[in-house]
Parts: sequence; C-alpha cells; structure tokens
Amino acid sequence: MNKGKLLAIFIMLGAMCPVMTSCFDAREVDDMGFVIALGLDKGKTNALRMTLQIAKPMAGDNGGGGGKDDELPYAQFSVEAPAIYTGLNMINTFASKQISLTHIKVVVFSSELAREGLGPYLRAMIRGREFRLNMPIVVARSTAEEYLKSVDPKLVLNAAKFYELVYQSYRYTGLIPKVEFHDFYLAAESNCRNPVAILGNSGRFLTAEDFDIDNSTFREHGRSAPFEGDFLAGDIPGVGGARAENIGLAVFDGDRMVGELDGTDTIIHLLCTGDFVHSYWTVPDPLSEGYYVLIDVKQSRKPRHHVEIVDGDPVIHITLNLEGDLLSVQSAVNYEVGENSLTLESSVESLVKEQVSRFLDKTISEFKSDICGFGQHARKLFTTWAEWEAYQWKSKYKDATYTINVNFKIRRPGLILKSEPSISSEGRSDDR
Amino acid sequence: MECEHRVDIKKRIKNLLFFHEPRVERPFILTEDSEAGKYDPGTDKGRAGPESKKNEDLLLKKVKKIKLTKKKESPADEEKSDISKQLSENLNVIEERFSVPLNGDLIIRKFDITVKDSVIPAFLVFFDGLVNTKVINDDILQPLMLLSNLDFKSDRDDVLTYIRSHILPHNQLKEARTHQEVIDMVFFGGCGIYIDSLDVAFVADVKDFPGRSVERPNNELVIRGPQEGFTECLRGNTALIRKRLMDQNLISEDITVGRRSKTPCSILYIRDIANSSLVAEVRRRLKSIETDHIMDAGELEQFIEDNPSLPAPQIIATERPDRVCAMLTEGRVAIIMHGSPFALVVPITNSDIIYSAEDQYLRFPYSNLLRVIRVLAVLMSLLLPGIFLAITNYHHEMIPTDLMLAILSDREKVPFPSVVEVFLMEISFELIREAGIRIPGPIGPTLGIIGALILGQAAVEANIVSPILIIIVAVTGLGSFAIPNFSAGFAFRILRFGFIILAALSGFLGITVGLVLMGLWMVNAKSFGVPFVSPVAPRTTGGFSDAVFKSPVWKQEKRPDFMNTKKKRKQAHISRGWVNRGASAQQSDSGNKNE
Repeated sequence: MNKGKLLAIFIMLGAMCPVMTSCFDAREVDDMGFVIALGLDKGKTNALRMTLQIAKPMAGDNGGGGGKDDELPYAQFSVEAPAIYTGLNMINTFASKQISLTHIKVVVFSSELAREGLGPYLRAMIRGREFRLNMPIVVARSTAEEYLKSVDPKLVLNAAKFYELVYQSYRYTGLIPKVEFHDFYLAAESNCRNPVAILGNSGRFLTAEDFDIDNSTFREHGRSAPFEGDFLAGDIPGVGGARAENIGLAVFDGDRMVGELDGTDTIIHLLCTGDFVHSYWTVPDPLSEGYYVLIDVKQSRKPRHHVEIVDGDPVIHITLNLEGDLLSVQSAVNYEVGENSLTLESSVESLVKEQVSRFLDKTISEFKSDICGFGQHARKLFTTWAEWEAYQWKSKYKDATYTINVNFKIRRPGLILKSEPSISSEGRSDDR
Repeated sequence: MECEHRVDIKKRIKNLLFFHEPRVERPFILTEDSEAGKYDPGTDKGRAGPESKKNEDLLLKKVKKIKLTKKKESPADEEKSDISKQLSENLNVIEERFSVPLNGDLIIRKFDITVKDSVIPAFLVFFDGLVNTKVINDDILQPLMLLSNLDFKSDRDDVLTYIRSHILPHNQLKEARTHQEVIDMVFFGGCGIYIDSLDVAFVADVKDFPGRSVERPNNELVIRGPQEGFTECLRGNTALIRKRLMDQNLISEDITVGRRSKTPCSILYIRDIANSSLVAEVRRRLKSIETDHIMDAGELEQFIEDNPSLPAPQIIATERPDRVCAMLTEGRVAIIMHGSPFALVVPITNSDIIYSAEDQYLRFPYSNLLRVIRVLAVLMSLLLPGIFLAITNYHHEMIPTDLMLAILSDREKVPFPSVVEVFLMEISFELIREAGIRIPGPIGPTLGIIGALILGQAAVEANIVSPILIIIVAVTGLGSFAIPNFSAGFAFRILRFGFIILAALSGFLGITVGLVLMGLWMVNAKSFGVPFVSPVAPRTTGGFSDAVFKSPVWKQEKRPDFMNTKKKRKQAHISRGWVNRGASAQQSDSGNKNE
C-alpha cells in the first residue's frame, strides 16, 4: 500500500467520524431519573395532572446505616400539563435528572379520566417507544395521585418490585384481571372485544376500629356475609402494607370506562377469558348449613366458547372445565369419596353457573360491553371482513343470550384422606 | 503542474472508490486432490536450488548417518570434498575457522594413532561443554590411541575402512567430506576427528548439552493425562513423541532454519495419514525462511503463519508431547525446534484454541461441560465490559429494574463516565497481570493479592469506580485466564478493547458491527490452507465429532474432514466390539480355541 492510499484511507476514516456520532444519545444510568409509575388525573388548571414516581437510588446498600425505614423509596412529582410528553418536559425543569420512562411499571388513570375516554393517552403511549408494552393499566377509583401516594411497599425494598409483583397476583387470587398495556390498546381498538383494567384505590381504613362492610357487594351475590371477592378496591377491611388496594376490574367500552366489577366477578372474568390460574374459593357446604368448604380451584383446560347467530342476535355457549383440591372441610363431612364428593361437585358447578350467568347478565344488560372477547369466536361465522364489520358486534352484544356448561371435579383431598368428626365427652360431633 | 497534481488526485480517488479486479493470488489451499502432488524426495531435491539444498543434504545425511557409514559414498559427494590429505592444512583451516586463539571453549586434541608399525598423527576438535567427555575418552581416544595396534585382520591399505569398522566403536559416527560439515556438526555437539592422509573427517555425535530434564509442563496443566513436557533439546523432544506414538510411519524430517544459526528443526508427521501437500507446504515455508538467527518456536511461528494481522493464533504451540501425538494422528504436522520447549502444530481451526489436552482423556460429559465453560469464558473475556457499557449507556431498558437501581446507586458517587471507569479498571488489570509476570518469583503472589484486593477495594472506597465494575473486570479477567491457549488469550484481550470502544460509541449496534467484522476476518483466514472456522464455514461433514462439543471417544470414527487426510477413518464403525453380541459370540469362539 502506497503512502497516498494510506493517507486517503485516514482521510476517509476521519470523514466517517461524524457518521459515528450515534454516541450523542449515550446516557449514563446515574444521569437518568427512572419513572416507575405514572399517574394521570384530570387537571385543575389544565387537561392533565401527571404524577410521576421516580425511583431513588437503592436505599440501605451504602454505608450500612439503613435506618431510614420511614423514607419512601421513590420521589413523587406532580405537574399539570395538556399532554403526557409536555408534562415530562415540565417535570424536567425541576427534577435534576433526565426523566426516562424505560422502566415504567404501571400507568394509573383516574376513573374520572377513564370515563371520559383514554384514547388520546393510549395513542401517545403506544407510539412512544419508552412505554413498555407489558405494563399493567390501573384505574384508580379516586385519583391516581392519591393511589400512587398510598403505595408504601413494606415487604420489598423498592417500589418497582412492588409494582412488578402486586399486579401478578391474579395468578394466585384471581381478584384482579390480567391486563397488559398492549393488549388493552388492541382491545380498545378492536371490533370484537373490549378491554378491562385493574381497579385500584387507596384503602379507606387506617385502623382496624374503622372497619365496616357497608360498601361490600355480598348482598348482590346473595350472601349473608362478604366472601373474599365481594369488595371493590378501597373497601377491603384490612390495614398494613401498602394502602393501595387492587381488587376488581374496570369495564371499558372502547376506550371509555363504563363500570366496575368486584373481585368475585373478576374471577369469573378470568375463567371466561381463560387467564385464570388458580385461587382459593369459599363454597357454602351443601350438606351442612353454616359451614364452608374451601377449595383450591384450577382450570383443568381452557374454556371452550362457541358462538352462534340466531335471528341476528348472538347466542354464546360457554363450557368451563375446572378442578379443585380440597383445602378445608369445616363440617367434617366426608367429601373425599363417593356420593358426597359428587354432591359437592354439582353444588360447585351450580354455584359457578349462577355466578357466571349473573356476571354475563351484568356485562350484557348493564355495561353492554363484551369484555370476555366472545366476538373473537363469532368472527369465523362471517365470510368476509366487511360483513363482520357491518354486523357491528359491539352494538349487538347487548342482545346476546348464552348457555353455560360447567364441569367441576374434585381431584385431591389434600393430606387428609377421610374427614372424621371430632369426638368429645358428649360423643361424636355429628351425633349431637 | 497543478493540473497534473489534480489528475493524480483524481486517479487516486478513482482508485479508492471504484472496483478493481483483485490481484490473482494463489494461496495454498488444502484440498482433497492435493494428494496428486505426492512428495518424492528425489524430485524435491531436483527442484530446489543447490545452495539451499546444501544444508538439507547435510541433515538428510545426518538422519541416515548410520546407514551412510555402511554403504559407499555416492560420487556426487566425493566431488565436493575440500579436506586435505595433509593434516597440518586441515588443522590450519580448522583453527582459522574457529578463531582458535580467541575461542576459549574450543578444544583441539592432537594425538597419534599407531596402526601396526606406522604412526598416523590425528586431532580431535570439539567444544567443551557441548560434548560428553567420558564418551570421547572411552569410545574415541582410547580405541584410537591404545587399541589401534592390536592385530590387523583385514587389508591394511584402507586405513579409512579399517578405522571406521574396527577401531572406532562409537555408535554415531559419520564421515564428513567438507570442513563446513564438520564445523556444523561440532556446533551441534559433535566431535570432529581428522586423521592424516585421509581426505575425509570423522564426526562422532557425542553431544551432551547442559539443559533441563523432562519436567511437568508449566503452562498447560492437566489433572488427568501424562505429566511430561517438552524441554529445549530437539532430540529429547522427538524422543518424547516417539515414546508415545509408536507408529512406523511417523516421520521426523530434519531441516535447518537460519542462515547463520542453522537451528535444527524437525517436521513430524505420520506419512500415510498426513496430506502430502500439507507436509510439502510446511517444508516449503520452513525452507524459504531467510534469516540469520532464530531463537525460539515463537519466532518461527511468526515466520510461517498465514495471516500476521489476524488476532487469533493460526498455529498451536504446545509443550505437551501427548497433545502433539494426538494431533499428529489427526493428520496434522508438528514442527519442533531445537532450543524451544514448544512444538508448533499446523493446521488448526478456531475450535482448537479452546481445547485442552485433557478433553480427550476425560469422559465426554465432563469435557463437554469444560467446553461450554470455555466458550462462556471466551464470550465473557471478549464482550462483557462492552456489553456492560452498552447497557448502561444506551439500553437501560434491558436490565431488570432492581439491578439498574443498584448500578445507579453505585454510580451515583463516581465522578467519571462509565467508559473511563472501564478503561481505568481494564488497564490496571492488565498492569497487574504484566507486573505479576515480570516480578521476581517470591513477590509475585503477593502482588496479585495487592492488585486484586487492595487496589479494587480502595478504588471502590475512594469512589473512583463502582463495585459492579470490579465484578465485571474480575469476571472478564477470569474468563481470559480460562482460555487454554495463551496466544488466543492475548487475541481476546486486544479485541476486548476494540469492543469497549465500539460499545461506548454506539452500544449494541457497535458490538454487532464489531462481531460481524470479526466474523468476516475469521472466515477469510486460513491456517496452512485450512479455513479457520471449518467445519462450520465451509461446512464439512464429519468434522463435528470434536468441533465444539465432543462425542464419546468410541464415536469419533473419522478424522476431521478439513484435514483431507490420506486415511479418513480412524476407527471401525463399531469400535467397541463387545457391544455387538453376534460378533462377540464369534470372537469368543476364537477365544475358546486359545484357551
């Protein structure tokens, strides 16, 4: 290689340097403020009030002091702005670090905003590459600011982990729906199903003396006392941990919120969509009045949906397949074998059937919103997309009728193979 | 004038930007049909120039020295003789050539041989220290001086034959016809014997170099397997190989390298396995070296490798005879150089540099575990700091939030950008490493502790680097130590800095670009005609029994395809005869007969 060529190559390399200025967007981690939760409320002075929770550097790992238990692991900022990105800009004027949304764990809307329609915000979020597509969407019954303020994680060191874990609890309680932002957006835009959001609120009660069940929905379910799911967010009689409660779901029609459902209905919703994993159910004892049987219920297989159009109206057939393990038989009735177990199974089946039909009635007549996505199973009945669009499923859903088929089997009795009543000086408890 | 200049620039730019027909080069490529040009020593002799042949002839003769003494010399050799029949002339020549008054360690011992009634003057010439004096005393001087006047039984005229066949009982005796020959041998531990009235000189091989005995290999340690390493002695090294590889077709060709030093080297191969054109290529490259002195196999490696700029080594240097033997049986060629305890083995592929000799001796699940760990080690040593930089500078969304917050709080107090941090730590790590090698023995381990613990700890406490970076650099360092090949370790250390810069410039994009470029570099390279990344690219069958993962020993039936060996199969399709019950029944029949 001659000298001239070498020189020319160096000149070309030099000329290429500007091409490599991609490092201009390099940012050190410690130069960024990572938003872990974003709350959106209706603003007082502007369209939006944005609340940002920004993670603080991990407390307690420097210097071994760590005696700041009362200090929150995040800093909360609020600003009023016309739109999300405007708000980010404004917060950057008084937050020292550049705001980054790449680690955002949850977006909370106030129900007031949700009832007006979330379209504008959803579209901003889906376009921005920093919003994670798998983050959950929460609707706070009061305001998002208050909800976020009441997040004070007791069991984990940082709030990000709290959010990561708490919205996964549908896997073992079934009391909140499974919501991911991307899916939420798709459902809101879809013509065959409607989205739901997690219903959240800060708890009403500060001490155990204040407990009441005035707002519980147990009467709607025809019960004498509230079961675990018979509450909406904020009404659970409980204290400790974070005051932010998540139970139930917010029903949407398109991008507008139209109603709320409690925890029990959320379980049914999960059953119908097939996202149910397992949870503990309280079932009234069919043979012994006043006692309960506790069952760990799983889906043995995904629900089967079949939709017909009869005289222009949809008819939905649902088959749910469930199985359960006995957790507790308070009455000591021998439900493990034979006739008794069949009795228990059929009683659970009728109970589920009753709950599902109540839930479907509610979505059909009250909310007129297909949140279970039955429309997806109706599409195949139409030969062209135009015909399907012309049918307008979402508006026909209010005229839908349904049949429900539930199969429930008791699989395992737990560690006790045969229930026996306890024996006291007065004889066996069931002889008394 | 200016116009001309402009035209020149124009031409230059044109040259740079437009397509040129590449210059047709014919590099050596090892192919299957290269067997056609089989090596025939006779034709080879004819091809090479007479001057370069001289040394080789000398060595060839050396190989056959015992044979040569038995048969008559060819007339061609006799013509060259420049040894005078006058002893005094020879003495003068020798004294002049060895600069006798100046050279203190040259011994010239004059004596007389009494053959029957006549007295023939003679002298010995050798270097003190290179030879075994006891052998000279007992096997050369004693018979010549004392036993020569015993009874004559054969024709007394031919003193030469008589001395060779009756008087000198030494086992390695050859006749030299030129002074140069004698001198070369004397330098390699020979003892020249000049006898009056003979125009040939005898050279007895009585070498006894000071040197190490066979020790454990220092750099390639294994837990299972032989614990012998090469030493600095050529013959000792070839003996270590012959001791293991008892194959009648194992050839150890002698060749000298260095115009002045005439360092003896051996090319080892198994004649009916190794591709002849490969052997010829090795021989051609070694012969073509025109340099005065060559000291070590490391130098030799640089003279004969294909791509001097490729970071990865293209020749395996090993100090383990067993490893050389294993590679010879695969059809490779080994080069051993006098004075170097490392044997060079060619050709190699990229997977060879992550192999250890031990892999073959361990059961295959174990060695596969080690291989996986070594691949991980390579990746870590090459990419870990780069990936760390890319993630912390560009791709914050890729790390779990908890980890990110931990990094964030660690970096909070550090005043430098992370790329400076990485360079600081990497450079100090390299410093510790270099210092550790150079420092006198007893202090070495202490320095390691100072470097690793105190420096790292202090740097963290002084908030100069973040603790997570210490982990990164430490793991990277461990990774580079886990690479079995010393040279490859260097390659990855150098490339690592490239990846750090690329990652700092443009994150994963940079790393990707770097990996692509490196891949291109690698697939383009060849080691003695074998593509460097075979058997992956070009993909060949049969090379995979020992490519990245290793099959059980009994399944490695064929030699690597890319070696294009003369014999493909190295063991039977069913190498464990006992698993075949039908066959074993037959065998047991014959077994019964034996009983």
